[in-house]
Amino acid sequence: MNPYLQLSNVTVSFNGFLALNDLNLDVSKGELRCLIGPNGAGKTTALDLICGKIKQSAGSIAFNGTALDGLEEYRIARAGIGRKFQVPSVFRELTVSDNLRVACAHHPGVLSNLRPGHRRADDEAVERLAELVGLTDQLRKPAAFLSHGQTQWLEIGMLVAQNAALILMDEPTAGMTAQETRKTADLFLRLKGRHTLIVVEHDMGFVKAIGDVISVMHLGRLLAEGSASEIESNPAVRKAYLGRGGITHA
Amino acid sequence: MMQPKSIDPISRHRPSAELVAILLVCALVIVAPVLLNNDYLLNKVARYLVLGMLAMSLSLSWGYAGILNLGQAMSFGLGSYAMAMTLKLKTVPVHTGPQGLPDFMVWNNVTQLPWFWWPFESQTFAIFAGMAIPAAVAAALGWFMFRGRITGVYVAIITLAAMVVLNLVIIDQQQYTGGFNGITDLAQLELFGIAFDAYGRSTYYLVAICMTGALLGAYAFTRTKAGLIIQAIRDHESRVRYFGYDVGAYQIAAFALSAAIAGLAGMLYTIVMEFASPTFLGVQLSLSVVVWCAVGGRQSLLGALLGAILVAGVQGALSESATFLETWTLVMGGLFVLIVLFLPKGLAGLVSSLWTLARQRSFRPFRSLHRIGQTEGGA
Amino acid sequence: MDQFIQQFLTGLSIGSILLLVAIGLSIIYGAMGIINLAHGEFVMLGAYAAWFLQVQFGMGLLTSLVPIFLLVAAFGWLIERFVLSFLNNRPLDTILATWGVGIMLQQAVRLTAGGELRYVKMPEALSNSTDILGVQISLYRVFLLVASLVLFAATWLLMNRTTVGMKLRAIIQDRSVAASFGVNARRIYGLTFAYGAGLAGLAGALVSPLKSVSPEMGTGYVIDAFMVVVLGGVQSLVGTVASAFILGELSGVIAFLQNDTVAKAIVLLAIVVLIRFRPQGMFATRVRA
Repeated sequence: MNPYLQLSNVTVSFNGFLALNDLNLDVSKGELRCLIGPNGAGKTTALDLICGKIKQSAGSIAFNGTALDGLEEYRIARAGIGRKFQVPSVFRELTVSDNLRVACAHHPGVLSNLRPGHRRADDEAVERLAELVGLTDQLRKPAAFLSHGQTQWLEIGMLVAQNAALILMDEPTAGMTAQETRKTADLFLRLKGRHTLIVVEHDMGFVKAIGDVISVMHLGRLLAEGSASEIESNPAVRKAYLGRGGITHA
Repeated sequence: MMQPKSIDPISRHRPSAELVAILLVCALVIVAPVLLNNDYLLNKVARYLVLGMLAMSLSLSWGYAGILNLGQAMSFGLGSYAMAMTLKLKTVPVHTGPQGLPDFMVWNNVTQLPWFWWPFESQTFAIFAGMAIPAAVAAALGWFMFRGRITGVYVAIITLAAMVVLNLVIIDQQQYTGGFNGITDLAQLELFGIAFDAYGRSTYYLVAICMTGALLGAYAFTRTKAGLIIQAIRDHESRVRYFGYDVGAYQIAAFALSAAIAGLAGMLYTIVMEFASPTFLGVQLSLSVVVWCAVGGRQSLLGALLGAILVAGVQGALSESATFLETWTLVMGGLFVLIVLFLPKGLAGLVSSLWTLARQRSFRPFRSLHRIGQTEGGA
Repeated sequence: MDQFIQQFLTGLSIGSILLLVAIGLSIIYGAMGIINLAHGEFVMLGAYAAWFLQVQFGMGLLTSLVPIFLLVAAFGWLIERFVLSFLNNRPLDTILATWGVGIMLQQAVRLTAGGELRYVKMPEALSNSTDILGVQISLYRVFLLVASLVLFAATWLLMNRTTVGMKLRAIIQDRSVAASFGVNARRIYGLTFAYGAGLAGLAGALVSPLKSVSPEMGTGYVIDAFMVVVLGGVQSLVGTVASAFILGELSGVIAFLQNDTVAKAIVLLAIVVLIRFRPQGMFATRVRA
């Protein structure tokens, strides 16, 4: 059986600098995959590539049996891939509820969104989502007024709203308190199974709490893959992180 | 399935303050002829309403979709010429040429009506074209710009350039367009047996109804989900793309809709002014539209409309004296710069923040109680 | 053959004027991300300054070039200091602000110098024609070509071989990092804008003997100059030169076959089509976003 998402021999070059170098990565359906690695390993670049923000110079990507190569971003999104950015990206001038409404993108065409009264159709979903990410009290506030942690939550909520089959999360817990991080971990465990997730994280505690399989990247390549304990005992991984006190404190 | 809760903060879609204000203004516009018993003044008001409509159309593309169109007058001018062309062909006394040629063509030794004038023999076609041509031109221009992912600054200058070039072409091709003088000496529009005299009530009502319709239509558009999505695009274009929306298509749609409304305004302007001129798609007018929008509030349809009426009205009042008018342009330029610097949301933004402030003052205890109740219930 | 050379030289001449007007715009846009819509009015100011100095003080065009550069540059500095510096991170609003400034300048000139056309005398020594490959061409046009290339070379050296230029390039890369190394971004921006404005003033003075001088003359120039910048790609001075001469030759040929207006329309259409497929311009390389 083919993997759900498959990156085969992918190379990304920025003016000669190889951000990804012959990377191979397979993710199966319903999995929660954590992607870790030292700075500059190419984790964010890998996510950028999958969601179409950048294009590879060699290699190919297939998702659920379709080739994603050369597709525009919105087509990749419609194929069922959602993305959360490292710098939380929400619509700052819109209210929280409008942010969630935009993210309910079941009908992305222009004409289907011209019907009057369409906004009410999303109300129920918006309420449910707001409750899920704890923003019920903030629904009428512009997103610009949210705290950093709340903004992260809002974007996560928007991804749930989008209901993508594959969700790419880039450092979802950055700027969150320990308690918020725990809540995020709970949420991710609930999403697992229904959605396939790829999460880039630095926080090893978080990674251990949620991940089945961990992929370690280094210098644009896949260095190791396995469970948390396998990864921690892997000499190559230790070497890549050497001088930084081992993987746990990365 | 959950039952919709009526007390929930977001299910409670109250008519917004903006809608109430819009309806008030529309009502005022409709009853104005009763208060103003002066045909000359009524014509003037009709003119300002048309300009208000033009500013409103820019607010749709600039304020809502974030597409700063410095050539908004291009759509206006196209609409204006479409109307002037059909009315010119209906003018009986100037059918001086062998096949009923417009007078300026005869003066320029044109012997046959050029092909692009033929369809304008039909008034129905002209009315359709007055909106469809600007919309199509905008959509085509938009296709190139938005599919090429051109950003704000580029869009602004490309639209300006397109308008300037079209203006030059119209002046240059005077044997077909009337050139510098425009198209003058027009017949009156007749629709459903009503003749629209520029100084008659019928024309005022035509303008008032079109403006009201356009304003409510544009407002309804901003309240649809598509209207919400274009605002999201203004805020963070690439984010919208990753939700699966084809950003370019939305931008083209908003841009074309705005152009169609401007085209309609242009048609009305020809009826009210009784001529069409290259100045209707000139830099001066286009700048004015941006100024009106900025003064009134670019992110408010009504604000932009009232801004136009206010500024154009003041200018009209001053225009009795030529020196005043010249200083006025100077003052306008300065005022514009100050508004851009210190009041980016214009008067509508000012009113809205004052309104919020006032409400917060008077309802504070109420609101916080409400909030406490909610958190306890929600947790 | 003569016909061909004649046509080529005409295009070269148009190109040199385009280049003169575009360098300033290109510098300001490349460095600060600001489309200076008052650029055309700076050109107009330069032309009026040339006229004024000639009529009032009997100064020749060549001797008045330096004071004109300084004058318009000082003016540009004031605009940057008191208007644009309030608009950090609001690129669309800078367009509006400079547009407003442009309108004020236009009206101020109309009120003080009058709306009628003005004419500037060509320098005596350059008013004759010369013979190039059997074709007569006005010496002044040759001078313009040389002047545009000299100004380009000076600008290039300034950007790439001086400390100010290096600081500016550092700010373009990353303003906050540059600032943390002690680069005074505020001051560098002011100087850049002043320099761009000064170049526009020079351009205005230099073209004034060939064209009539009027308060409205700027609008056409700013749009032409912008076309050059779009075609050449921003942050590419060499691209600006190449595209100025390409557009010059192209306009020359179309204008010969049709007329100036048709040439403008066709050039615009070509550029609109171009941005769909190569939005970064003809000569810019793709960089990591």
